[in-house]
Amino acid sequence: MKNRKLMDNLCLILVFTFLFLPILVLIIFSFNSSSLNIIFEGFTFSWYKTLFSNVTLLESLKNTLIVAFTSTIASTIIGTISAYALYKYNFPFKKFINELLYIPIVIPEIVLGISLLCVYTLLQLELGLFTIILAHICFCIPFVIVSVRTSLSSMNPNLELAASDLGASRFKTFFYVVLPSLLPGILSGAELSFTLSLDDVVVSYFTAGPSSTTLPLKVYSMIKTGVTPDVNALITIMLVIIFSLLMISTFISLKGIKKEGTR
Amino acid sequence: MRKLLIITFLLFLTGCSREETKELNVLNWSSYIPDSVIQAFEKETNIKVNYGTYSSNEECLAKISNTKLGTYDLVFPSDYMVEIMISRDLLQPIDRFRLTNFQNLNPVYLNLDYDPKNEYSIPFIAASTVISVNREFIQDEITSYNDLLNPKYENEIVLIEDQRIIIGLALLANGFDMNSTDERELEIAKNWLLKLKPNIKAYDSDSPKNFLITKEAAIGILWNAEAALAKMENPNIENIFPEEGIALSIDNFTLLKGAKNVDEAYQFIDYILREDVMKEIILSYPYKNVNLKTEELLDSSYLENEAANFSDSYIAKGKFVKNIGSSIKLYDRIWAFIK
Amino acid sequence: MKNNKIIRFIFTFPVIVYSIFLIFLPLVYIFIISFFESDSYGGMIKNFTLNNYRELFNSVYIGIFLKSFLIALITTFFCIIISYPFVLAISRKNKRIQKILITLVMVPFLTNSLIRMYGFIVLLRKYGVINQVLMNLGIIHDPINLMYNNFGILIGMIYTLLPFMILPLYNAVSAIDKSLIEAASDLFASRFKIFCKVIFPSTIPALFNGSLMVFTPALGYFFIVDILGGGKIMILGSLIKNQFLTARNWPFGAAISVALILITFIFIYLYRKIGGKMDDLGGM
Repeated sequence: MKNRKLMDNLCLILVFTFLFLPILVLIIFSFNSSSLNIIFEGFTFSWYKTLFSNVTLLESLKNTLIVAFTSTIASTIIGTISAYALYKYNFPFKKFINELLYIPIVIPEIVLGISLLCVYTLLQLELGLFTIILAHICFCIPFVIVSVRTSLSSMNPNLELAASDLGASRFKTFFYVVLPSLLPGILSGAELSFTLSLDDVVVSYFTAGPSSTTLPLKVYSMIKTGVTPDVNALITIMLVIIFSLLMISTFISLKGIKKEGTR
Repeated sequence: MRKLLIITFLLFLTGCSREETKELNVLNWSSYIPDSVIQAFEKETNIKVNYGTYSSNEECLAKISNTKLGTYDLVFPSDYMVEIMISRDLLQPIDRFRLTNFQNLNPVYLNLDYDPKNEYSIPFIAASTVISVNREFIQDEITSYNDLLNPKYENEIVLIEDQRIIIGLALLANGFDMNSTDERELEIAKNWLLKLKPNIKAYDSDSPKNFLITKEAAIGILWNAEAALAKMENPNIENIFPEEGIALSIDNFTLLKGAKNVDEAYQFIDYILREDVMKEIILSYPYKNVNLKTEELLDSSYLENEAANFSDSYIAKGKFVKNIGSSIKLYDRIWAFIK
Repeated sequence: MKNNKIIRFIFTFPVIVYSIFLIFLPLVYIFIISFFESDSYGGMIKNFTLNNYRELFNSVYIGIFLKSFLIALITTFFCIIISYPFVLAISRKNKRIQKILITLVMVPFLTNSLIRMYGFIVLLRKYGVINQVLMNLGIIHDPINLMYNNFGILIGMIYTLLPFMILPLYNAVSAIDKSLIEAASDLFASRFKIFCKVIFPSTIPALFNGSLMVFTPALGYFFIVDILGGGKIMILGSLIKNQFLTARNWPFGAAISVALILITFIFIYLYRKIGGKMDDLGGM
């Protein structure tokens, strides 16, 4: 029994080391006084100062955040309405459309990226932030739909009936009865969209224009021409923010688990 | 409805950020113009430069053709690509009389075959391929591309990622024309590259010098500025112009059809042609300078760096990549095969 | 009644517009392009031809297909090998720790995958952290090649795609009725037997789900091959990228994409055959 626990912990440690090592290295080197990211020569904060004068890098961060937030909000709204529509109504080609929705989830991102690029070219759309956002919305919506659908399937159908019996309009029912009970699904869908949008390289690579370089694309070109440690500094700051947000949300939901446990 | 609202909102968002300032959309080779020059230009003129990069002429052409005309204003294609772009009606004429610094240019680089009257292109710099060798690790004499086939150099070579150049040099190594479209000759070049394959560490067009500087690789076929910079970082590096000849290229300012910021583009070209600005560029990325007035400002550290300021005798032996039309598919296939 | 129709229209409009314009039409367009001819420098000629598909069967491209499949297959294999013990180890912790650990798995994910690839460069290069440490410890004499080869590519792929295997597996394992396992062990079934008879069968759909979410992206991640492989190896993703962004042979690139879509559909078909639910694919 003890042996097994030891093995378990060893396995956890190994995998987490693997997962965190590349990030840890970047964080450590953000405090390195040498600019070469090869040997740790001394401790410094100076890269954090240079970061704030690196206009192009900061602008790429701004673009990334605009893309991530707008596409998350848009795909969460559209995704939620769509999931509800698919649950509630019958319409022509519903089955077919339902199948279509899985395509962005399963096909390789590169195919999605080039097919959108082709359509953008066909329509003579100018590549820029707008086209990236549209592309991100495209691959986020299905994930929102799937996660909202999970909540929908566990919703009590009598709830809606009761509301309309009491004379609430369709919209009122949707906003005051349906939406609140779907909230967990909507939130987890939004969270997933945000993650996917932040993590995406391939689709952005094909749909970005000259004035819309996002952080990953910037880092891609920097990897090829030489990365300076202010990028490390930026990543460190981002990680600190993300990590604390995640921990806060985990602790909030952990409290929920605890309550359930004592009940 | 909601979607429509969002889309209009987004359009508004992207729209308003675009109209605030004067802009210029430049698409250029990576590692060509230092950020400091761009920032100085932005400060002097109040024009915001959106700067995109590519790492081969083919990528440049694809980026232009994949986007709506007007997405980019200025691009920097090499000689043969200028010819292709003219024939595909992608460029608009450049009025040299609007450029006060045009007379700074060295006439040797003007009125060449690819654009006989320089109607569409203004030379920016000239470049050549060079073999760089780190003498700390490799002592053998290297005078020919065929010397690189030595099995001792396993996993030691970094190459420019450019199919026309690399296949072209393989053709040269076998005594053929660099622009051959003969299937038999190309087959021989392909097999030559297969023999070289075990020695190749990586393909990189953007900053292959880093491989040499960080000692990741001991040998490289690089563009001359990269080779010159590697030598400045590490004096152990020797730069060699092989006996079979080198690939030459002249890169140019060109103005795209449908460009939205034509005045800004002229301002940019004129700014870069200014002798002091060009000096800063040449010192950051030491390609062969084509600006006579800049020449006077440069000191021995550049002029005597053999890779940067390569001698005219090499130019005589140099070969230019030519437009080969649909035979490019043969090159594509070889490229896919050797990878 | 008319009012109801309007409401219905408002609710169903977005999903119809979205799925038709952003999913269906782009794919149909790619399909159509794949039958066009291409001219020498990137134009498309609207003549029907099967040449692009014929070109796919050129030995050069068959080779690239096989190479990409092999890389994706090995990646999937290692993801399974790593995920199983890891997920089982997590599932044996108490609920709160489980939640924290699973969140931790997601943390690296919230930085961009390219950024993590850059971390790997710092670690793996010839005079990178790992080689330096090993040399200082006297374990190796000369630096070993950890990147710009297949090893580097595999590390990058496994790293990037691992969570796609871990999460569905974890969901499946934590859904297994604990009392079943307890009952089995009360009956003195060996741990191996419990795994084979109870745990493994109930994770098969999740395993297939994870494999799907690992395998197909692995065919396309050109940037990993580019960065950690030094651009000297081509996989399907790099081939498609080249057709669109360098060689500019759109019809051929489209034909490769169609082939890739077909392959994906075959996997989906198999996944459904063994009883996998489509919704599970999106529920990471």
